[in-house]
Amino acid sequence: MIEIKNLTKSFGAFKAVDSLSLSVAPGEIFGFLGPNGAGKTTTVKILSGIMRPSSGSVSVAGFDVAANPLEAKRAMAYIPDEPFVYPKLTGWEFMRFIGDIYAVPAAEQRRRIPELLETFELTASSGELLEGYSHGMKQKLLIASVLLRKPRAVLFDEPTVGLDPKSIRRFKALLADIAKGGAAVFMCTHILDMAEKLCHTVGIIYRGRLVTKGTVEEVKKLTAAPGVRSLEDVFLELTE
Amino acid sequence: MLPVLLVRKAVTFRNTLLGLRGWKLAKNLMFSGAGLMMLAALYAGFWRLLNYLEGVELIGPILSWKLTSMVLLMTFAMVVVSSIIISMTTLYYSFDLKFLFSTPLDLRAIFIDKAFETVFYSSWTLVLALLPYIAALGRIKGLDWGFYLAYAGLMVPFVMLAGAFGILFSMIVMYAFPSSRTRDITWLLGSLSVGFVYVVFRFSRPEKLLRPDSLEVVAQYIHYLQSPTAPYMPSWWVTKAMEAYSAARWEAFAANAGVLVLAAAVIYIFIYFLSGRLYMRGFSGAQGSPRFKGSRRELPEQRLAARLPSLRPALTLYWKDRLALGRDARYWSQLILIGALIAVYLFSIRQLPLDTPDIRSLVSFLNVGVAGFVMAAIGLRFTFPAISLEGNSYWLIKSAPITAAGVMREKLLVSLLPSLAIGLVLITVSNRLLGADFFIAALSTFTILVAALVITVMGIGFGAAFPDFNVENIHQLESSYGGFLYMATAMGYLSLLVAVEAWPVQMHFAERFGRAHPWDLRAVALSAALFLGLNAAALYIPWKAGLRNLERHEI
Repeated sequence: MIEIKNLTKSFGAFKAVDSLSLSVAPGEIFGFLGPNGAGKTTTVKILSGIMRPSSGSVSVAGFDVAANPLEAKRAMAYIPDEPFVYPKLTGWEFMRFIGDIYAVPAAEQRRRIPELLETFELTASSGELLEGYSHGMKQKLLIASVLLRKPRAVLFDEPTVGLDPKSIRRFKALLADIAKGGAAVFMCTHILDMAEKLCHTVGIIYRGRLVTKGTVEEVKKLTAAPGVRSLEDVFLELTE
Repeated sequence: MLPVLLVRKAVTFRNTLLGLRGWKLAKNLMFSGAGLMMLAALYAGFWRLLNYLEGVELIGPILSWKLTSMVLLMTFAMVVVSSIIISMTTLYYSFDLKFLFSTPLDLRAIFIDKAFETVFYSSWTLVLALLPYIAALGRIKGLDWGFYLAYAGLMVPFVMLAGAFGILFSMIVMYAFPSSRTRDITWLLGSLSVGFVYVVFRFSRPEKLLRPDSLEVVAQYIHYLQSPTAPYMPSWWVTKAMEAYSAARWEAFAANAGVLVLAAAVIYIFIYFLSGRLYMRGFSGAQGSPRFKGSRRELPEQRLAARLPSLRPALTLYWKDRLALGRDARYWSQLILIGALIAVYLFSIRQLPLDTPDIRSLVSFLNVGVAGFVMAAIGLRFTFPAISLEGNSYWLIKSAPITAAGVMREKLLVSLLPSLAIGLVLITVSNRLLGADFFIAALSTFTILVAALVITVMGIGFGAAFPDFNVENIHQLESSYGGFLYMATAMGYLSLLVAVEAWPVQMHFAERFGRAHPWDLRAVALSAALFLGLNAAALYIPWKAGLRNLERHEI
């Protein structure tokens, strides 16, 4: 579903991503871990089509993102780490905007948007301008907008930043539902505990290179240090 | 505390300068070169004007000082209005304010820091534009370097006093009505004031100063000379101080300069203490958002998209832009200024002293170039920034199944109709005021419609070629390198357009003057071919360059 082959992204002499190859299957939740500046956001930006690779290729739902960007973008949803939205639209209008852009039938939008707003406790503020929304409210609105359509691949970059504990719990449940529905989930996160509990597979990127990839249990076994139990310990050892 | 805040500005400025290398440095040098050329042209113009005034018998020196007082009064008024508009942002919405408020800095120190920022941003362009005037005045009066130093010293309290009015206004209004809605209303009122000052100044026909003979009686002329200046305004104190300096009347110079400095000191001490009482309430209120209740009704574009699914992406972007622009007070304030610009333009056309119908028709033809320039200036404010104004939210479009060409076409759709309407109004009303003949009226109307299309396409093309999704306000885009190139290209295009059409127009006038066989069809065909070639190139090249860049642009 998500396929990355020999991906390299350079900024001048600096290689932000270096010969990265990995794949995420339908129904799989993949956690992409790494310290700050390791290349996670660059990778997810290339996957979403807002950045171009220097070499290598990425494909989503069978479509090469560089060769068939529109088809690939129709099949995926992307939520960046900073939830920038149009400040002069209301929450309701933003949902309609996303629905219209991704060609969700109007009748379906009218039925599902109120449900989604209710799920994320945004009904009361849905008539207000987004410039008045908090960071967490914008984040919830973006997650709701992803659920409005049925993407085959979902890309999250630090999705829980700004969310309250209740919303984080709900988000985890939704993530599991999205994967059960057959979508491939690619999630960059710093929250190792969440990755350990939620992701089927994880990959650790360090200085642009993929250091390891496998199931959480497989990755945990990679270290020889005695007494190592958590993903956090492995992460710290591999990225030191 | 205040020195710490001011040092951070100096360090930022130094780092910006040190960061200028390679292409960035070349771009800035080009910009500075073009700016210097413009200042030199202004200097030449002012020198001619002041030289003429100074040469008028008996009253020459009085006239040049009178003009100086008018210029300074206008500058003072413009800085006051600018500071009202700018202070709303700098004092209450600067990106670093939340950080500053979280530090143990004195509230009054933060306020004064932002007040200085306000004075700087609201006055630097006007002070720069005034430089060639002062240089010309000094040269005409044969004054030494001391005069310029004295002028520079006088300018500091002068612009600080002007800026203080805006700062005080914003502080008091935000204290009384602590809401972000106050900012929007102030912006609108500020723009109305700028438009009003601009229109009133033009409608007062300052060109009369150059033609004393046009006034009926001496008394009327003397009254006119006395009319625009006000002895209790800082602009008058600066004028009198400069006049005293030029005549080596040191006592009068010291008195006027002293009043100026004293007034500035008193008003800033007052502001400093007042800010301790008023600033916090206004800042706190500004952080909230105004209540807004949007409806859930189906929009006309959405109904149309249901019938025409292939147009759905463009129609969706269109309704998004329509709603967003309609709710943005900055957009409305720009519209007010454009209204003022058009009114002044048409008034100036009406005032042109043209005697014969032929001259009037000829001016109607040349007017295409001037009207085109007005449209390009409007395009610089609306069309050129259209893509960049997607701002930080551009990722939504970039990651959506919409092509870069689709985005550009939609932006063109938003800008094109207003551009055509403005061009048509400018030309048809001008032609009517000037009494252009049928041939010229038809040719200029057709030409302006084509030029409106080309200038709009050019604006979108250059906007896509030089996008900046991180700007805080539209003025940064207007004064950017891309904006400069857009204006230069549009002006080049308009000059060529008028030149290409000059040939058939010349034949038309030859026919009117009764010359036998005035029309050379080969020349007309060549002119038509050049017209087509020029417009095709002006449409294709900027659009293609913009599209290419936008497709490759990474965020």
